[in-house]
Amino acid sequence: MRASVTEISAFTAAAAHVLCFAGLAVAHSLAGPGAPVSDPARALRLLVVCEAPVIIAVFSYLRRDPKSCSFFKAAARGLIGLPVGAFFNAFGAIVLGAPVGIKYWMVTIYWSLLMSLFTFVPAACVFGVSKIDWQTVLCHSIYFTPTDVENYMISAPCHGAVLGAWLGAWPMPLDWERPWQEWPICVTYGAVAGHLVGMAVSPVLIAVHKRRVRAKAD
Amino acid sequence: MGAAVAGWTVAAVLLQVAGLSLFLYGFFPVKPTLRGFSGPESYRMPSCGPVSAGEQKPALPPDQRRSLYRELSEMPPVYDRLVLMVIDGLPAEFVLGKGGKPPSKELMESMPYTQSLLAGCQAAGYHAKAAPPTVTMPRLKAMVSGAIGGFLDVAFNFNTQAFLEDNLLDQLHMIGHKLVMLGDETWIKLFPTLFARQDGVSSFYVRDTVEVDFNVSRHLEFELAAKDWSVLVLHYLGLDHVGHIGGRRSVLMTQKMKEMDEVIRRVHDASLQDNLERTLLVVVSDHGMTEGGNHGGSSYEETDSLALFVGHSVERAHCSPYNQNEALQVDLAPTLALLFGIPIPKNNIGVLLPEVLNSLTDDQKLRTLELNSWQILRLLQAQMPAFCLEDCINSEGGLGIVVHPESIEKEFCHLLSKAFVSHQSSCLHQSSNFKSAEAQYVGTAVENYYGFLRYASEWLSHRATDKPFYLLISAILLMTMSCLFLMGAVSRLFKGQSLSQTDQLSESYLEQRWHLDEVFILTGIFLYVISLGSSSFVEEEQYTWNFLTSTLYLIFLIKTVQSMLKGSNSTLVHGAEEKSFDGNNFLCATSYELTPGKRDGYKLCTVLIVLVAGRVIRAWHQGGINWVHFPDISKLLAQADSCIVKSLQTISVLAVVALYSVSLMLLRARSKVVIGVWLSHISCGLLVLLHIWENQINTSLPINHSTTSIARLFYAIASVSISATVLASPWIFPIYSTEAKPASSSDSNLVKDIDSHGISDSVFLTGITYTVFWCLLQLLLQQPINAIPLLLIFLQTVSSVVHFSLDKTLHKQWVQVIAMQFLGMAGHFGLGNTNSLASIDVAGAFIGISSYSTVLSGILMFIITYGSPLMLYLGMVVYISVKDISTPRQLWSYILDKMVTMPCLLPLLINSVALTSYTIVLLLMRNHLFVWSVFSPKYLYVCAATVCTYVGVFIIAVTAVYTCTVFSFRARRYRDQSH
Ligand SMILES: [Zn+2]
Ligand SMILES: [Zn+2]
Repeated sequence: MRASVTEISAFTAAAAHVLCFAGLAVAHSLAGPGAPVSDPARALRLLVVCEAPVIIAVFSYLRRDPKSCSFFKAAARGLIGLPVGAFFNAFGAIVLGAPVGIKYWMVTIYWSLLMSLFTFVPAACVFGVSKIDWQTVLCHSIYFTPTDVENYMISAPCHGAVLGAWLGAWPMPLDWERPWQEWPICVTYGAVAGHLVGMAVSPVLIAVHKRRVRAKAD
Repeated sequence: MGAAVAGWTVAAVLLQVAGLSLFLYGFFPVKPTLRGFSGPESYRMPSCGPVSAGEQKPALPPDQRRSLYRELSEMPPVYDRLVLMVIDGLPAEFVLGKGGKPPSKELMESMPYTQSLLAGCQAAGYHAKAAPPTVTMPRLKAMVSGAIGGFLDVAFNFNTQAFLEDNLLDQLHMIGHKLVMLGDETWIKLFPTLFARQDGVSSFYVRDTVEVDFNVSRHLEFELAAKDWSVLVLHYLGLDHVGHIGGRRSVLMTQKMKEMDEVIRRVHDASLQDNLERTLLVVVSDHGMTEGGNHGGSSYEETDSLALFVGHSVERAHCSPYNQNEALQVDLAPTLALLFGIPIPKNNIGVLLPEVLNSLTDDQKLRTLELNSWQILRLLQAQMPAFCLEDCINSEGGLGIVVHPESIEKEFCHLLSKAFVSHQSSCLHQSSNFKSAEAQYVGTAVENYYGFLRYASEWLSHRATDKPFYLLISAILLMTMSCLFLMGAVSRLFKGQSLSQTDQLSESYLEQRWHLDEVFILTGIFLYVISLGSSSFVEEEQYTWNFLTSTLYLIFLIKTVQSMLKGSNSTLVHGAEEKSFDGNNFLCATSYELTPGKRDGYKLCTVLIVLVAGRVIRAWHQGGINWVHFPDISKLLAQADSCIVKSLQTISVLAVVALYSVSLMLLRARSKVVIGVWLSHISCGLLVLLHIWENQINTSLPINHSTTSIARLFYAIASVSISATVLASPWIFPIYSTEAKPASSSDSNLVKDIDSHGISDSVFLTGITYTVFWCLLQLLLQQPINAIPLLLIFLQTVSSVVHFSLDKTLHKQWVQVIAMQFLGMAGHFGLGNTNSLASIDVAGAFIGISSYSTVLSGILMFIITYGSPLMLYLGMVVYISVKDISTPRQLWSYILDKMVTMPCLLPLLINSVALTSYTIVLLLMRNHLFVWSVFSPKYLYVCAATVCTYVGVFIIAVTAVYTCTVFSFRARRYRDQSH
């Protein structure tokens, strides 16, 4: 089953992440400084628009089963995964207390699309509907047990984004009366920061993992 | 092991109670207050010995009383009419400047008339330091009674009941003054029957800065023209509201001050109309405000309140109005009392303000000081029963001055006798012709009096606020020790468990690593403890709990999905799971007969129910302290037709009744007791419905006799049926299973193998009965708006129990117990509770009580406030019944051990961690700005939560112990019979 899997080096992973980061950076420069606070809907829209093609392209290229599945099929999987993942993310956010008023609908949709890009879409592109892989992505135990390289590449930024968003929500109810405490500004900041950290960590994890495997082989 | 753990637990609880009471005693001292009102006896020197309070004199008519006071006090009242104008939240700095400098030009110009009065020496202004908590109601009490209440006085009078202590307004009323009040309705709450005319405005709508003051000023023309009143209280809230909106430097501030200045001008003009100069205008503020416009704490900005006197007795030739004239807010009480010829209120600790009494003769001045000293002396005698003035004077008479007074009593003795002796000698020298000598004697006497008064006043006020530091530290040590004991007990428990589980292969994978939910719970508790140190997080604690609880259940959801993914890949896992279903019939009905796929579906559904219900509960009350004005469902319903609320209540009652019926049906027990309990439950449900509908028909009357009797009937039926169920349920279920035993098994084997179905069924019946009756009680007592959240909390409880019972290997037991406790806390805030004492529902505490009883309504208030955590504790009884309690050795003590140790120990431990850490936080924050407004109310909640935990754990433990005892007794009897 895993025979066709191409081994991905830490360098490839880093390159892929650099591309993703470039997408974020472009969106940020297009939006201009302070845009997330003054007009969160526009900034989030820009982020989604810039980041979506990059992520879908990169992870479709890194698809798990390149033999049986074409690049376009993987990309299509990613495109379908985008709204599905957005739904799950929106559900999670609303359950955790995101406001549901009419004036928040747009930002909630954009935010969940962005979160879907960070979490769901890469996995959808790479794994398709393979249950085992989904299970391992959901699980946090990959950090302790040896797994595949893609798992690190997908899991670390994904977990980072979720954790960052979760931590980013803590200052929201406080009475500091800062504009960035509005939903979903600080949560977005947290998610992006967590995602970046995850992206930075995953090549390191991959390198460590490779060394461990090599040591075991020797 | 069980006995040791129980011993440790009991020791820990005792230690905790001891530490908590020590801390409460040290942190919130309750000062003794004198009851009753000062009367003619206050014009006599206090006698030695115990304070005689029992002297009941026939009440004099007002005119006689007034002349009696006039006679006894040996001087006529200085004024006949009083205008007390309270400008809420005005810092004295705005009028009098700071540190000897006048206020800024802009502020000077915004109060031109007042400044002209000050400059013309027609007014005397003081920086009257207010005592914390700097919120309106306690400050008004301090002004009129001269006493500083302790925090607990403030806390327990949060519902602004009528003020019963001795105070100026009642004294003025007693001698026939007619009172009129315009402004903040707090006055009406404090003095509901005192005012001849009144117009209260609510301080609730802080956003309104214009209407509140217009509603006061619109009466001014009429009242100032009217001659019938002699005391006029004006309380302007607008300036406080301006501060709350925009802070000290708000653009509205100068405008508002101009408006206030205009009111002062009008009142003063009107008082000058009666040329007898018998009107005193007093402009005071109850507290100041911070730069941001808030108040409540003890910073200089907040405590710097104004006391400004305008009248003939303060006029003098020379003055420097911007000297930093320090006084205490409580000084207002004795000053006004003596100016108006009434006795000083009994609990006053204030001291006469000298400049206000300029028009008095020297004799009269000394007399006022003497009266003030006698009153303070009476208060001192209440605090130090052994203290006696005559002994002082006798012992000191000829000896002269003691240089080093060794005790506080001696110091008082010394100061007091010095004052009285110099007063006497000035009286003796009065007849002599040497003016200068007389003035000198008077000066010495005044100085001596003030020496005593200031010292005593300071001592008394410190008695009300000082904290014995070492006592507090030792209290915290006790609590920490108790916390460690509990931790030790829990770690013992875990060690014992992991030892006993090494032989169980199915658990070995679970034991290996920390799981996400376990890590999260530990992190969550840590984050919660950290958040207690921030006043903002304490104010908005509902967010913390809601966030933590929903995250925990989201993790459960992920784990469920994960197990489903895993399960559909490899079906062999189920083999091990199937045989672990040893729960009761209820469980068998819900889970045993299910296919794996269906069971997965149920697992998913139950978690989703908890999550969605939690979100709806959260949207119901936008609680907290800072975001109260946000829209939420409860506000929507409050505006909607009452029919909608009633129908929601009806739906909730019906749903609870239906759920109970369904669960009893699943239990498959058809004994008479069960049917009886079911019928009584239905009748209770009907009573609650009746109560709801009665209220609907008759909303105009506050106390409705038919609803009271309905509620009482409910209490009676509910308590009888609950106790009947608890007592009877262990007797009605079979000890040994009669069906499942194969015929081949030998007799001895049968005896050894106790069936745990019976005991589970019995505990289940008890637990579910507890929970549903509790639910009905809550539906009866809580505000109508809370009906649906209550139902949702009940659903959450049931869903959690079902979820945990469906797959016992998914989450560890301690995770399950803590998850239920989290739900309880989230629900507590979901019912609209906050960490401010204002959110306690006082109205519900009188349902079913015809006469006022502090104990009963206190219990009801506790039941209402802690409805949700207690419901989860009662749900925990259901939970222990669906747990896998079959032990290899099948001893009753082991079963008991398995049933109760975890559900009892963990809540105690969590509560102990919260209590201990919050106590430490409170000690560290004792000088914090918000200690009285945020941290101390929260501490009362923490203490109440501790009581709630004890109650819940006690119920769980007693139920389990009773059931096990009955079953073991029955088993022994059965064995004896069969042999
Ligand atoms: Zn106030
Ligand atoms: Zn205020």
